[in-house]
Amino acid sequence: MSSFANTLLMLTATFIPFAAALVLLFVPKDRSGIIKKGALIGTVLSFVLSIPFFFAYDRTSDAVQWAQSWSWIPSLGVRFSVGMDGISLLLWLLTTFIGPIAILCSWEAITERLKEYYIWLLVLQTAMLGVFITQDMFLFYVFWEVMLVPMYFLIGIWGGPQKLYAAIKLFLYTLAGSVLLLVAVLAIYFLQAKTHGTLDFSLESFQAMAPVIAQQTKTYQTLLALAFFVAFAIKVPMFPFHTWLPDAHVQAPTAGSVILAGILLKMGTYGFVRFLLPIFPTAVKDLMPWFIAMSLIGIIYGALVAMIQKDMKKLVAYSSVSHLGMCMLGIFALNPYGFKGALFQMINHGISTPGLFLAVAVVYDRRHTRMIADFGGLSETMPIYSTIFMIMTMSSIGLPLLNGFIGELIILQGSFQAFPWAAVVATTGIILGAAYMLWMFQRVMFGPISDVNRKMTDLTPREMVVFAPLVIMAVWIGLYPRPLMEIMDRPVAKLVRQVNPDYYLAPSASSDQEKAKREGMQGMVAPGTDENSNLTETSEEK
Amino acid sequence: MNESTLIPLISASQPVSYLWLIPFLPLFGFLINGLTGRRLRNNQWVNGIALGSVAGSFLLSVFYFLYLLQLPESSRSLHQSLWTWFDVGAAQIAGQRLTFATVEWAYKFDVLSAAMALLVTGAGFLIHLFSTGYMEEEQKDFRYYRFMAYLNLFVFSMLNLVLGSNILMMFLGWEGVGLCSYLLIGFYFNKTYAGDAAKKAFVTNRIGDFGFMLGFFLIFMIFGSLDYDTLMGSARSLMALPSITLFGHTAAPTFWMNLIGGCLFVGAMGKSAQIPLYVWLPDAMAGPTPVSALIHAATMVTSGLYMITRLNFIFVNAPAALHLILFIGALTALLAASMGLAQYDIKKVLAYSTVSQLGFMFMGMGAGAFTAGMFHVFTHAFFKACLFLGSGSVIMACHHEQDMRNMGGLRKYMPWTFWSMLLSTFAIAGIFPFSGFFSKDEILWKVFEGWYEGGTYEGSTLYLSAWLMGMVAAFFTAFYMMRLICMTFLGNYRGGGEDPYHLTVPGDTHGHDAHHVGTHVPHEVPWNMWVPVFILALLAVGSGFLNVPHALHFLGHAYFSEWLTPILYQVGAATEGVEVVSKVEYALMIWATVIWAPGAMALAYWFYAADPSWSRAKTFVKNYPNLFEWVHARFYIDEFYEALLITPTKRLAGQLWSFDTWVVDGMVNGAARATLLFARASYWFDTYIVDGLVNFVAWLLQQFASLFKAFQSGRVQNYAFVTLLGFVLLMLFKFLG
Repeated sequence: MSSFANTLLMLTATFIPFAAALVLLFVPKDRSGIIKKGALIGTVLSFVLSIPFFFAYDRTSDAVQWAQSWSWIPSLGVRFSVGMDGISLLLWLLTTFIGPIAILCSWEAITERLKEYYIWLLVLQTAMLGVFITQDMFLFYVFWEVMLVPMYFLIGIWGGPQKLYAAIKLFLYTLAGSVLLLVAVLAIYFLQAKTHGTLDFSLESFQAMAPVIAQQTKTYQTLLALAFFVAFAIKVPMFPFHTWLPDAHVQAPTAGSVILAGILLKMGTYGFVRFLLPIFPTAVKDLMPWFIAMSLIGIIYGALVAMIQKDMKKLVAYSSVSHLGMCMLGIFALNPYGFKGALFQMINHGISTPGLFLAVAVVYDRRHTRMIADFGGLSETMPIYSTIFMIMTMSSIGLPLLNGFIGELIILQGSFQAFPWAAVVATTGIILGAAYMLWMFQRVMFGPISDVNRKMTDLTPREMVVFAPLVIMAVWIGLYPRPLMEIMDRPVAKLVRQVNPDYYLAPSASSDQEKAKREGMQGMVAPGTDENSNLTETSEEK
Repeated sequence: MNESTLIPLISASQPVSYLWLIPFLPLFGFLINGLTGRRLRNNQWVNGIALGSVAGSFLLSVFYFLYLLQLPESSRSLHQSLWTWFDVGAAQIAGQRLTFATVEWAYKFDVLSAAMALLVTGAGFLIHLFSTGYMEEEQKDFRYYRFMAYLNLFVFSMLNLVLGSNILMMFLGWEGVGLCSYLLIGFYFNKTYAGDAAKKAFVTNRIGDFGFMLGFFLIFMIFGSLDYDTLMGSARSLMALPSITLFGHTAAPTFWMNLIGGCLFVGAMGKSAQIPLYVWLPDAMAGPTPVSALIHAATMVTSGLYMITRLNFIFVNAPAALHLILFIGALTALLAASMGLAQYDIKKVLAYSTVSQLGFMFMGMGAGAFTAGMFHVFTHAFFKACLFLGSGSVIMACHHEQDMRNMGGLRKYMPWTFWSMLLSTFAIAGIFPFSGFFSKDEILWKVFEGWYEGGTYEGSTLYLSAWLMGMVAAFFTAFYMMRLICMTFLGNYRGGGEDPYHLTVPGDTHGHDAHHVGTHVPHEVPWNMWVPVFILALLAVGSGFLNVPHALHFLGHAYFSEWLTPILYQVGAATEGVEVVSKVEYALMIWATVIWAPGAMALAYWFYAADPSWSRAKTFVKNYPNLFEWVHARFYIDEFYEALLITPTKRLAGQLWSFDTWVVDGMVNGAARATLLFARASYWFDTYIVDGLVNFVAWLLQQFASLFKAFQSGRVQNYAFVTLLGFVLLMLFKFLG
């Protein structure tokens, strides 16, 4: 079947950056031109190869597509199994999309130990891509951990003045969560061995454990769920696990910030959607009030703290805390609007926040300062730059016609359906969002211009090339989000059935009944007919 | 609905196919100018694109308007869907139902949007034309193309707002106009106050958006749709329900409608500058004057009114929300009009006047007279745009002077401008037969009618108090407008050094450039500036006859109200038959137009023109210094907000940051430090206890071993001796034991 060839193509796209890194190992380190071009070619090739998957994805199915599985460590039941559903596909595409941008924005900024830098960047790229295609918990954990190493070096070597502090903080903080995750994964693994007598790390079997886990004691469930929760909440990061983020962002080189904001944070939200919710639907519902409270605090708190930052990078970092709080709120709504909105928000945040970090880098490269107070009136000498900054600001604020609006609106609608008061509180976040972003914009772009700033030049062609794809994506998603919506349609419906099984059983208008049936019943056996059947066992392409 | 084609196929047989061009032409204008303007640096080209696109939209609007005219009344609605914008899937709405509603990117050209589209493109075109003259100085530098591009973007957004066929399209335009407003207020971005004003406008509007969003979330939860046609179609059946259950709360439909209406009105408060969110509008005058005319007088600020009229089927069923609107409208009308009495900046006077007039419109809405309120939107657009543009001409003629104390006597230098503004002043004051008379008096009458109730005087006293506030506001309006005319156009020109009464003050810096005090002579502005002003003045004079109240049926017909009938929700059975015209209505009309407004104008004339030294006005201020000070300082409401909201928010943000640094991050660093401390302790333990134990054991063994060390002498004699000793001892045991 050609499906096998497709899987190989998917793996190729995933591992090309790594292959490029291996090749670069053999390039002499003073050939900086070749190294840079090699890295760029590696990521661009990966991106180009990933595009066909966007079109080839079967939007009518909620199954994992292009799935393949090879035996890896048979004695432990570990398999090298890969495949993607719509949710992972979109984030995987976002990663391949951000890759070349990260390379390009380092082009002139990185001059020291250049070879190592690009090698680490490429390794990181493959590790991140791997996280999204894996269908095996063990393999997931491997990628999840591997990802941390290049990031550690990127910040620790090429970072700002306090790079070591930030790098170690990032590493240890995330590792602490990962260890909890590992313990919880093993607990489920052994529980499975005990109940089913099988040794299996596959994601599917883990999700199928949900009913078994639901029968365990409450403490057991809560502890396991919390272990997952903490691991992912640190990565998101949710309040109060967020303090590594501003440090990491401020100290990281631009590409590090771009990848951190664009992809790495989404690992956390992805973890929630992929693991925590489907595996622990019952425990999650019990803990829901806490989760919602943390999301809301994140939204408001992140925005308020962002408001008074003096360092532009720190401001954007705290805005991430706020935006991802919004994202988490959407996820916890446990309905299609919430999930889709959250997915959109992940993608949008992966476009607008890298855009903002890049924008900060533009002035940093010219002035070697990121303090808001050092700037002012840049609109006068840098009109193109100020236009792009404005677009990214508006995208971040959630202005219609741009991508941010789609995500925020759907999340708020979804959470309004589930818990109206929380949605009301979250909606005030959009006021604060406008306040801190516009205040920064005003202080940087408006007002009288100083003589030092007057000498600053507008964007170079290379910088425009870096920004152009982000702007195009922002406008495209804002105007016509439907293609993305279609891709997430079925997987989200499946997710809703997993975590909120009664949702689709509600009565619907006669004209909508067909749709309700299609979304709600697909792959679902009528409840109670078969003991072995559960909501997660959907027919999977084999 | 499931069409995946992006842009519809254009076929000539379907006239509706070109509908999308009405909003999109200005968008193209924006894109072309925005992308090429900087490189080409050709102002003729920029003007051609900007004006041409808006003119094209206007002509298309006229075409479709005529097309609607020849259709029967019930089918006057064109609809064009371009693509599916939102298709999110299942949503659980009121009564635990599932809905799969989608939101189309679609345009709807019906009676209301037609009227608004004509206004936006028509007034928009005139103001674009005016800008080509007014922005003369900017044409020399790089900023001009940006200005025209923003104006086009504004027209695009505004047309989306009025032509969109669902609430999300309206919201799209709603936010879009907010963005353009932000960009244009901050156009002179190197001035600090412009940036501040722009941000203030945006953030204040966001507070309104908060309400608007909650409003349409609720609409979606209750109606299961956001499409106007669907909403209006299901309103009646929803109202017939005994109760609606949402979020576990069961209440009568009216309760939910009131809630929705209240939320939506918060949105309207922001965009249409009502108490308590009006504070951004006066500051917005930091933008160039054409912007004030187009965005902050004629079109954008009326969005709230448009929204209420569009969703009238909700408000009709929301009596409490309507009462709130009536009250807030009346209060705004009065308060803003009083603030206008004591301003010296010519644009500030007009800004407060706009807030006040918007209050009038909301009063009309609150009284349930949607068409009356909407009609005032139109007449106000004409006379206020005229006044703003006129003031722009004045400011330009006086070399960027905005303080009216430094003007005067401009009548003889700028006759076109003077007459245009004077006519508009009559219109806004409500003098018969100028347009304001027909629109404002209709509103006031409708409010009065709420109390009057066909001669029984048994209506709610809320109507009476609102009417009284409105009457006082109308008096103030006539006064401050006449004051403006007197200070600006009558008397002697004080800017040229001729100032016998020492009335001038050092220039306010609220112009775009510091003004040059010199002995220059003001001059009439070029044709591309006075012609638009004059056309608007003619409209301000004559447009009243488009909606003649029934009481004056001999003068004409209520064409406007009848035109809007199809979109109005009829409560119960349509009220048939003729309105009863009472003597009270005539009496009030005569009172308003013969005594009340002219009286106020005469008073202003008496203060400021009949007495060129303004000694009467000065005496008045001297006698009531606190009163003047408070009004002049706009009752310190901005300062109040600053102290009550903004400063505490910033302080809270600062405190939270300290919390973040010392507590949240403190815990993380604390954990790190604790770990280090523990590590040190472990090291100590390891060194002294664990290793100590090891060493102790070793030491002990050593000590123990040293006991026997003595024996290990290495001397054979000693070993032999010990062996012998052992042998002897063994022998002894053997034989004795």
